[in-house]
Amino acid sequence: MGSLFRSEEVCLAQLFLQSASAYSCISELGERGLLEFRDLNPKVSPFQRRFVGEVRRCEEMEKTFTFLQQELRAAGRLPAPCPESPRAPAAREALRVQEQSEQLAQELREVSRSRSSLRDRLRDLRQHLHVLREGQRFTSLPVGPGVPAGLGREPILDPSLHHHLDRKINFVAGVIHPWRVTAFERLLWRACRGYLVASFVEMPEPMEDPATGESITWVIFLISYWGEQIGQKIRKISNCFHCQVYGYPESEASRTEAITRLHGQIQELSTLEETEKYLAEVLDKVAQVLPTWRVQVQKMKAIYLVLNQCSFDVTKKCLIAEVWCPVRDLTQVQDALRQGSVSGSCFVQRVPTTESPPTLIRTNKFTAGFQSIVDAYGVASYQEVNPAPYAIITFPFIFAIMFGDVGHGLLMFLFALWMVLYEDSPRLRQGTNEIWLTFFEGRYLILLMGAFSIYTGFIYNECFSKATAIFPSAWSVATMANHSSWSSAYLATHPSLTLDPNVTGVFQGPYPFGIDPIWSLATNHLNFLNSFKMKMSVVLGIVHMGFGVMLGVFNHVHFQQRHRLVLEFLPEMIFLLALFGYLVFLIFYKWIKFSAADSRVAPSILIHFIDMFLFTSNAENLPLYPGQVPVQMVLVVLALASVPVLLLGTPLYQWCRQRAPRTVRPRAHDFAEIFMHQAIHTIEYCLGCVSNTASYLRLWALSLAHAQLSEVLWSMVMRNGFVGLSYVGGVVLVPVFAAFAVLTVAILLVMEGLSAFLHALRLHWVEFQNKFYVGAGYKLCPFAFAPDTWE
Amino acid sequence: MPGYSEFYFNVDHGYLEGLVRGFKAGILTSADYVNLAQCETLEDLKLHLQTTDYGNFLANETGPLTVSTIDEKLKTKLLTEFHYFRNHAFEPLATFLNFVTYSYMIDNVILLITGTLHQRPIAELAPKCHPLGSFEQMEAVSIASNPTELFNAILVDTPLAAFFQDCLSENDLDEMNIEIMRNKLYKSYLEAFYKFCEKQGGTTAEIMRPILEFEADRRAFIITINSFGTELSKDDREKLYPTCGKLYPEGLHLLANADDYEQVKRVAEYYADYKAVFEGVGSGTGEKTLEDAFFEHEVKLNVLAFNNQFHFGVFYAYVKLKEQECRNIVWIAECISQRHRTKINNYIPIF
Repeated sequence: MGSLFRSEEVCLAQLFLQSASAYSCISELGERGLLEFRDLNPKVSPFQRRFVGEVRRCEEMEKTFTFLQQELRAAGRLPAPCPESPRAPAAREALRVQEQSEQLAQELREVSRSRSSLRDRLRDLRQHLHVLREGQRFTSLPVGPGVPAGLGREPILDPSLHHHLDRKINFVAGVIHPWRVTAFERLLWRACRGYLVASFVEMPEPMEDPATGESITWVIFLISYWGEQIGQKIRKISNCFHCQVYGYPESEASRTEAITRLHGQIQELSTLEETEKYLAEVLDKVAQVLPTWRVQVQKMKAIYLVLNQCSFDVTKKCLIAEVWCPVRDLTQVQDALRQGSVSGSCFVQRVPTTESPPTLIRTNKFTAGFQSIVDAYGVASYQEVNPAPYAIITFPFIFAIMFGDVGHGLLMFLFALWMVLYEDSPRLRQGTNEIWLTFFEGRYLILLMGAFSIYTGFIYNECFSKATAIFPSAWSVATMANHSSWSSAYLATHPSLTLDPNVTGVFQGPYPFGIDPIWSLATNHLNFLNSFKMKMSVVLGIVHMGFGVMLGVFNHVHFQQRHRLVLEFLPEMIFLLALFGYLVFLIFYKWIKFSAADSRVAPSILIHFIDMFLFTSNAENLPLYPGQVPVQMVLVVLALASVPVLLLGTPLYQWCRQRAPRTVRPRAHDFAEIFMHQAIHTIEYCLGCVSNTASYLRLWALSLAHAQLSEVLWSMVMRNGFVGLSYVGGVVLVPVFAAFAVLTVAILLVMEGLSAFLHALRLHWVEFQNKFYVGAGYKLCPFAFAPDTWE
Repeated sequence: MPGYSEFYFNVDHGYLEGLVRGFKAGILTSADYVNLAQCETLEDLKLHLQTTDYGNFLANETGPLTVSTIDEKLKTKLLTEFHYFRNHAFEPLATFLNFVTYSYMIDNVILLITGTLHQRPIAELAPKCHPLGSFEQMEAVSIASNPTELFNAILVDTPLAAFFQDCLSENDLDEMNIEIMRNKLYKSYLEAFYKFCEKQGGTTAEIMRPILEFEADRRAFIITINSFGTELSKDDREKLYPTCGKLYPEGLHLLANADDYEQVKRVAEYYADYKAVFEGVGSGTGEKTLEDAFFEHEVKLNVLAFNNQFHFGVFYAYVKLKEQECRNIVWIAECISQRHRTKINNYIPIF
């Protein structure tokens, strides 16, 4: 938890690794994931680095693995999940992996080749069989003597009819891809000028396409033609269209014979089954070892890529690596090196550096969500005050101010609680939906947001826009009625009545907790709440900003810039407190000083505040306390006087330090640059104080919008369900409640929740963090074999 | 509505234009070429290409790496990208992209006819065709014995039919006629493409005009230079010149009457662009050939296409630049594999 306040101390270190044990050392460090390696040869292109051969070997192996994986996938198998993280293989083991994997791949290749050749042969035979069978329909003689010889019944081409004309009819038969049929037919017709008869028919069963592996219904064609020249042309064309052409005997008898022969050959192809079985065995073996190998080789490749970033010392016996290392982990690193090295001569040494080290803030599952909110704005500069621990409380609180409703808060809290309780269930963890994962990552944030919303809901006294009366109201209507002697007739004619707090007994002091429920019946409910919420926003905003300015102190002290305490922090604080702090004081003073009795003469704070800047006083607006005008004048003068201090203080201080002879600095500071920077900062701060205070009014606006929206939902939807205390009313209530529930979740919880979240985010990033946070750092990315990078 | 294309261009073509600009960022830079030229073996070349946008395009090659595998894979990658464009394109971009493929189709048809003439089997020729220009009936080209048959039987269905009207003759297909046919096809193709771009108007026409004009003029120059010492008469030669270039009409007349290289060069001197191109050419060993000089000028024109938005020229330019890149990589790979390093720097850098 200590490192959450500011990032951990990180140092630059050199690792001296003996060539012999460098590999095992890096492997050990990768398992622990402690260090970020720096590239010492940025100018050397990847193929000129030292361990390029090893990297290439890993790539070769990966290529083999990809082949194996593809074969597995083609066979419809999934490799077994990797049991636990295997360590990077030692050189000899890597060699073994390589040998075995290549052997397996070779075996697999041979088996699948013989299988596919067998399959091809089988397909070929079956296609031939189909061609012959389908061809029969066109070329066979009519069966049976009883069939009359009519043109329609006669086969299209009867070779026997033409024998006596002494013209030889030849056939080209084969199969063609269905997509190519039309083009093929057209081209045949054009090229051969119609001296042929082509018939096409679909094959009765689909077969595999050898090119794509898809199963398609091929088309069988049978072309009859006269003359040898045309025959050649047809063969050429069918060749061009990648048709499979089969021999088609001319006589009926030899065709039947061919069919029986083909049947016989298909029967003979029983070796296919054995081959399939053997293939399955090989695949089993692959599925078992592949995942482990993959992880091992990935680790090995990563190690060599890191080694490629190291440089050699002069004796060439030792590799030098430069790393960013958290100071806390130095002993662990030493430990890892001792374990990894054979002879124990690998060691780590800190080196001084002027470079700014990377930022390392260790988080746990609770703080990670808050830290990521801060990191999304900018990673903290090295050792800067980290706003995340304060955001743990302020963020949900500011959210809740805008989202205050007991019912909605409770729903949100329960949703988050469910996620928190079942956070270890793999079903929640391994969702692939990005939006869901975002919610899941922020479950603790949502939990707190829900809890705080319940609290502010009680303060606002709103539960699904309805007030709850936990305590009896402090206002007594009976007393008022007795005092004014309201008759029934009077009550019937007057829809709205006034309760006067000045009448004794009507107002018995403040409600114990939150807003009195009687206000929800009042017509001036909104006026009352607006005044309350507006003042609350300003007060909270100024407290929040003041806290931000205070946090700057820790930065100034930590970075040994004590002059900034006086020259920056002090004027900033005076400026903020003298103007806006005074406003907060006025608000509280008026709340305490004026009661219902003298509320008619209570002065307006707004006019007083404007008069304060104009150095005037208004006769109609009574002073709040004696001596108000001189106090205000002093405060304004103080605030104005702090501006030049803020503007000129730091630049002049730097300038004086430069001029002082005893501190001659080699690097000349550019005075103009410092001055410009400070001027921008001053303008930003002074204008920011005004605009940021106004910006906090969004708390008021958003909470008002939320309350109004939920009230609208209640009165326009839910109230329609209350048609009467009958069975009909009960039935009507069901769909009305369904609509109410859906709208509540969709609009009030999700949409309003997101909007309040965004505004809370803005208030933190802009209004709070710009008071002290630079956020110009970069994260420490340790070299680690993270489990999520496998596969 | 030419002239207002900016307003509605993105509705139909915005996605693809964004995509092509993204792809353009992956074109190798001169720094990449310097690194590639330092490679010792093809494996080095592969390793370096892995660090660029080509990524793992050679990762699954088993067996030793050869220049032809590299070439094939480069072309496959371009083809994949182009098909993606084509499949997602609306009219008129779809037609525009079709036009881009026609030039490759012409080359393929001619290649197949020439190959058949030399008695090469079609199976050997087919892989040599550019994949961008392959079409269904392509391989059947070999059965034709004369241009009429070629047209009536095969090409009549293809988009090339429109360009074929000029080439119909009863002549046999010999080498000379094939060459003439190629140039006539190209001439009609370029003129049709030019007309199509003019019809699109707006920035598309503005960008494509110089590119196609240059293409036409380049062909005119090359036809002239190649026809020296052949039987081609000057009249016939003039008929082959595409008429959509800057040389039309006076320059083409002059070219038609040229008798040797010097006269061609003199014609080029009337035109500032071509003067510069011809001046860059030398006959020495370290100097550029005319072909390279033309390629260089083409690259320059194509790169300019990316300076404007809302037009189709980027697609044409991207394909052409990528093709040049393929040529460059293959050239470097050839030099590496043949250990002929002196000319390795004769590639044409793009960016």
